[in-house]
Amino acid sequence: MAETLRSILARRLVIVTGKGGTGKTSVVAALALAAARSGLRVLVAEVGRDEHVPRLIAPGTKPVGYAGRALRPGLTVMRIDPFEALAEYLGLQLGVRAVVDLVFRNRAFRQLMEASPGWRELITLGKIWHLEQMTTPDGDPLHQLLVVDAPATGHGLTFLDVPRVAGSAVRAGPLRKHAGWVEAMLGDPERTLLLPVALAEELPARETAELALRVRRDLGVPVDRVVVNCLVGAPFPPGLDDLDERVARLPAAATFPGLPPPGVLAACGAHLRARHELGRHWAAQIARMTGLPLVPLPYLANGIRGPDDLAQIATPLLAAPEAVAA
Amino acid sequence: MKGIDGPSALVRGRRIVVCVGAGGVGKTTLAAALALGAARAGRRAIVLTIDPARRLADALGVGALGNQPREIPREILTRLGVPSGGSLSALMLDMKRTFDDLVERFAESAEARDRILQNRIYQNVSDALAGSAEYSAMEKVFELAESGDFDRLIVDTPPSQHALDFLEAPQRLLEFLDSSIVQLLLHPAFAAGRFGFRLFQRPARRVLQVIERVSGVSFLEDVSEFLMAFEGMSEGFRQRARRVNALLLGRETGFVLAAGPASESVAHAEAFLARLQTSRVPLAGVVLNRARVWPGEGPAPAAVPDVGKEAEAVRALAAALAPNAEGDGETAARAAIHAASEYASLVRRDEEATRVLRGASRALGCFWRRVPELPRDIHDLDGLARVADALFAEANAGDADD
Repeated sequence: MAETLRSILARRLVIVTGKGGTGKTSVVAALALAAARSGLRVLVAEVGRDEHVPRLIAPGTKPVGYAGRALRPGLTVMRIDPFEALAEYLGLQLGVRAVVDLVFRNRAFRQLMEASPGWRELITLGKIWHLEQMTTPDGDPLHQLLVVDAPATGHGLTFLDVPRVAGSAVRAGPLRKHAGWVEAMLGDPERTLLLPVALAEELPARETAELALRVRRDLGVPVDRVVVNCLVGAPFPPGLDDLDERVARLPAAATFPGLPPPGVLAACGAHLRARHELGRHWAAQIARMTGLPLVPLPYLANGIRGPDDLAQIATPLLAAPEAVAA
Repeated sequence: MKGIDGPSALVRGRRIVVCVGAGGVGKTTLAAALALGAARAGRRAIVLTIDPARRLADALGVGALGNQPREIPREILTRLGVPSGGSLSALMLDMKRTFDDLVERFAESAEARDRILQNRIYQNVSDALAGSAEYSAMEKVFELAESGDFDRLIVDTPPSQHALDFLEAPQRLLEFLDSSIVQLLLHPAFAAGRFGFRLFQRPARRVLQVIERVSGVSFLEDVSEFLMAFEGMSEGFRQRARRVNALLLGRETGFVLAAGPASESVAHAEAFLARLQTSRVPLAGVVLNRARVWPGEGPAPAAVPDVGKEAEAVRALAAALAPNAEGDGETAARAAIHAASEYASLVRRDEEATRVLRGASRALGCFWRRVPELPRDIHDLDGLARVADALFAEANAGDADD
């Protein structure tokens, strides 16, 4: 892994995905914030029923909705609601938006659409493609970086596979053409990057490895690194790696001013060391199973509450990924 | 509260235990530990999981799990402290297979069955019927409950942003089958006349035609074919969904909410509990999983070392760690103190999660348990046994006011 990877920010479209609880949304927000600070025009698109990114970037802000809103200079956040996107698309095709709106207000019609497969993913990806194509009056990309908070792993693959399925199932018509455009965008390593976010624990590690392999093998979506979130750092400086054991050997009855007993001091260190070693073990497993370099992010004890915490993970997120010796 | 004061009473008193919660909080492990507790109490227990936790399956000695129950070998159960009357099985839910089985059961004829199984819409059915993952899990629970092979069923639900999706799935399916548009597609003339659909029909048809035009597929044709094929079995299906619903919300079932100590996870659990107050869900308890506990007496101190004692603490610890004044005494003392200080702040955060969730569960009158974080992942029998021990302890260790 000696070759230098292109920066995440050199892509136009970054699709962030990961199992629930891995901190995928924090990665999306940190990436978007850092990109906007570096001067890029950034759009974050959330895909899902709830908005999570706005409150990380601007705590206390109101929902941004489908129309989206700039939360900071150069940083807009929107949520792609499939019904809104479909209404927009059909309005364009039909030429009369009012008719579409009338029908979409009908509960029964919505139930029918709720029950129909595939279109949500396709229309969402279509909207992303459309956003990616938008230009300024000068012909530059309107959104220089588009960050998508994609559904958790299980659905992550279905989501990306839909254009291919649609392309093969649909015989003719505009949809086939449009699905082809979306597929071309997703497979273009110059434009697109799929960024999996994992935790260095057994289940997320295995799931992420499977995701990365299937994305590369079956879907042809570019993936060149894995983000490993919440890594607990080494608790002791080099040379003192087994300090907790040394502390544990002190006489149990010894007392030190202002400190808990030696057994408690040792247990604190031992716990942190065990989590650190476990993290290293599973990070190495992720590297071995995927063959990809890793982007390690530190564990923040108080979680991610707002822009200051995001800034702490943005620097390592944008640093060159590490090849971990397995 | 209905005799459920802890997990022991829960697995003794309820036939079905459903574990709900956000992804990543350790639901699968908790479900397995609850099932182990039931088996230890002499019950024939089964855990249904949706997580391909292969190492858990390996550890249980059942190899790969499938859509049919696999029994954990007797010698392993004995090691885990399960008496001879108790048993423990595991099953990994295959949603597609479960739905196919359902079609097999209710289709009017072999021809109708094939028509459904080959329908393009049916083939996407896991996406098609919103919440069908949840529904098929419930369907499997129902099947196993009917079979009489098990007297305790512990269900690990699909990770979902909205834990109540699981509950609402059967109802949503019923609503969909009963919905006016389905009736319209099934009986166009009848429905149009009776329900006054004329107003709706014309613009709807136009939009559907546009969908067909751009998609190049006969969308309406596929949908009606699917519904037509389904209609023959819809009565059986409908009755079954009603019975699944009744079983879920009935007196035989108890729900356990699993949460993690991270602030996002606690917020999620609080939101879930707030929604529960307005629902009929039989909530039995709340489990805070993987909470760090202070290794000394009482709660974690507010600061390590005590404020104003740092210089003194470092000096004394350095002298003890390096009695012959070797060079690293002070570095080592500072590092050991720093680690304890960091760990104390983590424990304080988890204690805050404890306070919030304990308060919320008391307000709801359900039991509350805390499972301490183990320094290792749970993927072997000893780890699972330790989680079960913590879960089934009479009170929470180190929890003074419980």
